[in-house]
Parts: sequence; structure tokens; C-alpha cells
Amino acid sequence: MLVSAVTLGCALLLGQVEAPEVTGQEAPTGAPVEAPVDSNEAPASGPPATAEPWDFQMAVPGATSPQQPYEGQALCLALPPTPAVPSGAWRARCDEAKKECLVSPAQELDSQGHESDQPLQRVDWCLPLMLPQEKVREYRLVPAIAEAPPGWYRDERGRVLQYNFDLHRRVRVGGAWAPRWLRETDGVDERVRVDFGVDLEWPGDSDRLHRMTLLDTELYLGDAASYEATLLRYDFRSEHDAPLFRVTTFYGRPRRFDVYANLGFWMEVLHGEQVRRDDVHADFLSLAATQVTLDLWHSSDLVSYVRVRAGPSVERDRTNGFFTLVPAAALEGDFTLDRDGFHHVRFGAEAQKVLLAEHVEGRPLRPERLRLRASYEVIALAINDQPVSLTLDGRGTWRDDVANAPAGWEWSAQAGLRFSMWAPARRSAPATSPGKG
Amino acid sequence: MVALALALLLGTLPGPSCEGQTAAGETFPTCFDPGTGWVLGTALRVQDDTAALVVRTGLLVRVDRSSGSKADSLWFDSHRLLMTEAWGGDRQGLTFTAYEGLLRRHVEEGAILVSIGRPRRIPFPFDVALALRAAHLERRAWEGAGWTLETGRVGLLLDPLRTNTEWGWLAVGPAASHALRHAPDGTRNEVSPFTSLLLDAGWETRDGRWALRATGLAGWSFDFDGGAHFRARGEVALEHVLLAVNDAPVFVRLTATGVRNDAGLYRRNEAMLGAGLAVRPFGER
Repeated sequence: MLVSAVTLGCALLLGQVEAPEVTGQEAPTGAPVEAPVDSNEAPASGPPATAEPWDFQMAVPGATSPQQPYEGQALCLALPPTPAVPSGAWRARCDEAKKECLVSPAQELDSQGHESDQPLQRVDWCLPLMLPQEKVREYRLVPAIAEAPPGWYRDERGRVLQYNFDLHRRVRVGGAWAPRWLRETDGVDERVRVDFGVDLEWPGDSDRLHRMTLLDTELYLGDAASYEATLLRYDFRSEHDAPLFRVTTFYGRPRRFDVYANLGFWMEVLHGEQVRRDDVHADFLSLAATQVTLDLWHSSDLVSYVRVRAGPSVERDRTNGFFTLVPAAALEGDFTLDRDGFHHVRFGAEAQKVLLAEHVEGRPLRPERLRLRASYEVIALAINDQPVSLTLDGRGTWRDDVANAPAGWEWSAQAGLRFSMWAPARRSAPATSPGKG
Repeated sequence: MVALALALLLGTLPGPSCEGQTAAGETFPTCFDPGTGWVLGTALRVQDDTAALVVRTGLLVRVDRSSGSKADSLWFDSHRLLMTEAWGGDRQGLTFTAYEGLLRRHVEEGAILVSIGRPRRIPFPFDVALALRAAHLERRAWEGAGWTLETGRVGLLLDPLRTNTEWGWLAVGPAASHALRHAPDGTRNEVSPFTSLLLDAGWETRDGRWALRATGLAGWSFDFDGGAHFRARGEVALEHVLLAVNDAPVFVRLTATGVRNDAGLYRRNEAMLGAGLAVRPFGER
């Protein structure tokens, strides 16, 4: 590709130097662009040192102009200066089969459609033109919008903006209004939540997807201030081609049914939690938890899933000073609902049983916990390509592991905003911009 | 006679195809050997209106081979290793058998050579079989301390069916055994010097999806310090392969067991019915 691009570049350069009439008055068909500038008009500034003696003036692209493809090598073009593009610096991507080059200004345009001093952002470097003149005659130049990376959009002024976000790769900071209702006491705690976390996701070999969260932290401030934090959470999911079970039936013609099971792994290191109920509190620190996961369903890219997981953890009851074994089982789901990663739904139900605990006055010997959670997050806007999302959470917890506190349900409805940094385009982001098909 | 005719008929039928094929062209076995594999199963057993959960495991090995020393002679050897059965409920207990085997020798034309005077060959319409059992332990926790250990048993059996396959046999003959009954008041030795009759019969379909086995023992045993006891026991088990998981047959097993003067330390009478599911990895034919 590079070799052919260089060859083509050479052809365009040399050809246009000696035979400018070939592409001279070639109007880009079907492209509503600015009218070509009269070549007799004096440009606002003198032509660049590298400008070639073109006898036509290229128009700048409009909103409906075609977009340069992201693939291939960009070429640096020096065209006659125009009032809109006095520098004469253009970029081209050429289609050898169509004998056509899509050209765009190398600088962003201002609101008046004139070249600014800002170079185009997020474009590939371009090769200088060097090609024989006879080659150039075969190509025509069409004004176009410069290319944009997958998940990004470039407007007719050349400004680029991100419209596709991967919220599984981000550094997030958020806040929410998070009141809590205690059913046993009919009390209401007015609280706000401050949350933070670093989410990472990367594909592995053999159709495997790894996901990690660092420093997942939720601080509840206000009535009954408390916290929940996890130093590290990691899991992977897999798509297996080979069936886990092959079931053969013999009634009628013997038939074989393949049962696929996509197993994975989930772990947490250092999960701390402080629980407050009225005047009592309890502190728990899970040192390590390892669980096996079984995907009941997952999307082809493994990003969305419904799965069950189960396994043990070792937990330190910091309030009473002993270690416990906590087996747990959970059903949970995570859905990215749209192509561009704007809508996310998560839900989960997890049951835990505390074993090997010492006797504590005012609570059962083997306490239990049940946590329910459903949440929705939607990206509302992006500031400097960093998304700001609206979060809605509903949570319910039943537990009897807090001594001298009545066992029962607590419910919380939470609504807030979250600012995400990094959040690159999703790996599945389309190469074409919205509306460009 | 009906069984004999059935066995002969089955022996002459062409063999079934033991391989299925998926739409993608992959093959899978459709025939299984009820006498081969690692058995792992559970069952519900009813005894005197009381149900108990039973788990059962052990290794089965079945080998067909030609005799190395006798021409026109085939050996059909079935071995059962480390068979363990444990049950819960109000009457918890277990049985464990280190080894049990039936070694059956089939000859095309059975005969007895009489060498007194001019040697004569007298037709002998039976196959011969050797039934062996070693280290059969029975422990019933609800009876208190004590156990019963049959150190060894050997049976010299005759098989009138004389099938030349492993799919059917009917072996009957005398058996000798030695057992220890250990109770809080001491350990008693007990011997049956071929004063018991042993039965071991089986029938299987050629694809191995149905298997019926009947075993029985009846006769007298004698204490070293005097006294004879008549005891009898019998068991019928029917197995049917429902499906296969990873080519390991999953089968249902129905059993009926009756014991007279031989159950546990105190020679009780028992009658039990059982139904359960089991899997037999490595059990393809």
C-alpha cells in the first residue's frame, strides 16, 4: 500500500507540474462545494514556497462532501492558493481504480470557512507528492472532508469529535444523590455518593476478554456515612468452540447434541466495606475472593453478558476481630445497548453466607447477605471528548451480619452524574462517521 | 430353553452399527459395554417403607480372549474392582468389595474325557466358569460396633447357555467361602465348604443399552465353634442407557434385593427395591 501510494504521489506531483490543464477545471461532480476561485484574483497571501503552478482553484469541502477513507496513505498536495486556503496545503487520498483523489485542506477552517492555523487533528501523516505528469492526467481532484479514526466524526471545517465511547476503559469520577430507606426502622438516611474507579478491558487470545477494575470506591456522605471499596477486581470471559458436553440420545435415530459452556474466572482483592445501621456499625475486609463464572449468554464481542458466578472468599471481620469464609453465588448481567456505547444496563443479585465465624452477641452464628442491584448509565454529553453520563441506580440489601442491628432490607435509589476520562472509541467502532454510511 | 434359543438367535444376528454421525460429519458411539467403565451413580432405595439415598462406585473391566493353551476355547472374563455402595438414612451402612470376577470359558464342543480303560469322550453340554470374590466388607453403623468380612469366595459354575459372546450367560454351581463376623462380643469364623449354590446370570442387548443381571447365593455356612446357618440372598438389576454425555453412558438402574438370614451382623431378613441413575465413563463398546 505504501509503495503504491508513493508511486501515485510521484505521478500526481510530476504530472501536475507540467500539465496543469489536466485537472484544471475539473469540477467535483455531485459535490456542493464553494465555487472555484477565479485564478486571476490575487490570493490573500502569497503562495507557499512549494506551491506548484496550478491553473485552477480548489474549493473547500461542504457539509455533504464525501469523506476521505481512513485506510490507505495520505498524500501532501500543494495547490494554488485561494482566499479560503491561502497556504495551498492540502491532503489527498486517491483511488487508483476510480482515478480520483479526495482532497481536503490540511488545516482546520474557521467559522467563516477560511483556513485557520490549527492543523487537522487525528489524521495520519502524509507523503509528499512525486510522480510523472502523465499519471496525473488520469486523476481528478474532489473536495472532501478529511478522514477520521473509527468512532470519531469530522465536520466540514475539519474539526474532529468523538461519538463512540468505551466505558469499560475509563477513569471515572462521579457523584449521586443516594438516600437510603431502612425497612425495619422506617428510617431514611439522606446521603450523597462519591464514586471513583479505573476500568480496563483488553481482548486476549482464543476469543477471551479480560476486564479489570482498580480502586473501585464509593463513599457515602451525610447520614450514616460509610464506604465500600475494592482495590482490584479482575475477570475474563471466553467463547469456546469445542463443546463442554456432548449428549447423545438413542430414542429414534441416534443424535448428538453439543452443549457449550463458556466458563470464566472472577476475582477480587481487598474489598472493604463499612456498614452503618442507626447507632451500630460493622467493618468487613475481604482479603481475596475467587469465583468461577458461567456465561448464560454473551454478545459476539463478549462485552455484554448474563452470567452466574460462584466461589469462596476469605474475609476479616474487623469489628469483632476474626477471619471468616464467605461462599457466594451471583447472577449478573452487563449490557451495552447501542453501537456507540451510550447506553449501559447492569444488574446483579448476589447471596453470601458467612461461615466459620465466632459467636458474636446480637447476631447469628452464620449470617447471610443478599444484595440486589440494577443500574442504567447513559452518556449525556462529552466535554473535550470526555463523556459525562447520567447514572441511575437501584439497590437493595438484606443482611443480618451487623451485631445488635435488626436484620432486614435496606433500599437505596441513586441518581447522579459521572465524568469519564480516557474512554476511547470502542474496538467495534465503525470506520465510517454517522451519516456517512 | 427360551433363554437358550434367544441367546442363540442373538448370536447369529448381524452386528449393529455402533457409530452415529452428526450433520457436521463427526462420529459418536452408539453401543456400550455394560461390563466396562467406571461406575458412578446414586439411587433411592426403599426398605421397610423407609427410603435411603445410595451412592455407588467401582471399576468394571471385561475382557474377551482366546485361550492360549486350549484350541477353540474362548474366555469371557468380567472383573469388578473396588465396588463400593454406601447408603444414608436411619440405617446407614456400606458394602465394599475389593474384587469380584466371573471367568467363563467357552468351548465349541464341550466334552469329558474318561481315561479309565479305553479313553472315551463324553459330551459335556456346559461351559465352565469360575466365580471369585475377595475382601467383601459389610458395615452397618446402626447395628453398633462390628462388621462382617468375607475374606474370600470361590464358585465352580456350569453354564448351560454356552454362548460364544459376552452378551449372555447363566452360570450355576457350588461355592465355598470364608467370612469373619466381628461383634462386640468377639469375632467368629464362618465357612461354607461348597455347601452353597451360587447363581450368576446376565443378558444384554448387543448395543449394550439394556442389561439384566441376576445373582444369588443359597446354602449353609458353619461356625468354627459349631452351628450351621442356612442363608440365601438374591439380587436382580436391570440397566437401561438413557443417553450419553461425552460418550459416557448415563443409565437408569432398577434393583430388587432379597436377603434371608444373611443381612448384617445379626443375620437379618431384608427386602429392598432401588431405582437410580448412574454414569459409566469409558463404557463405550
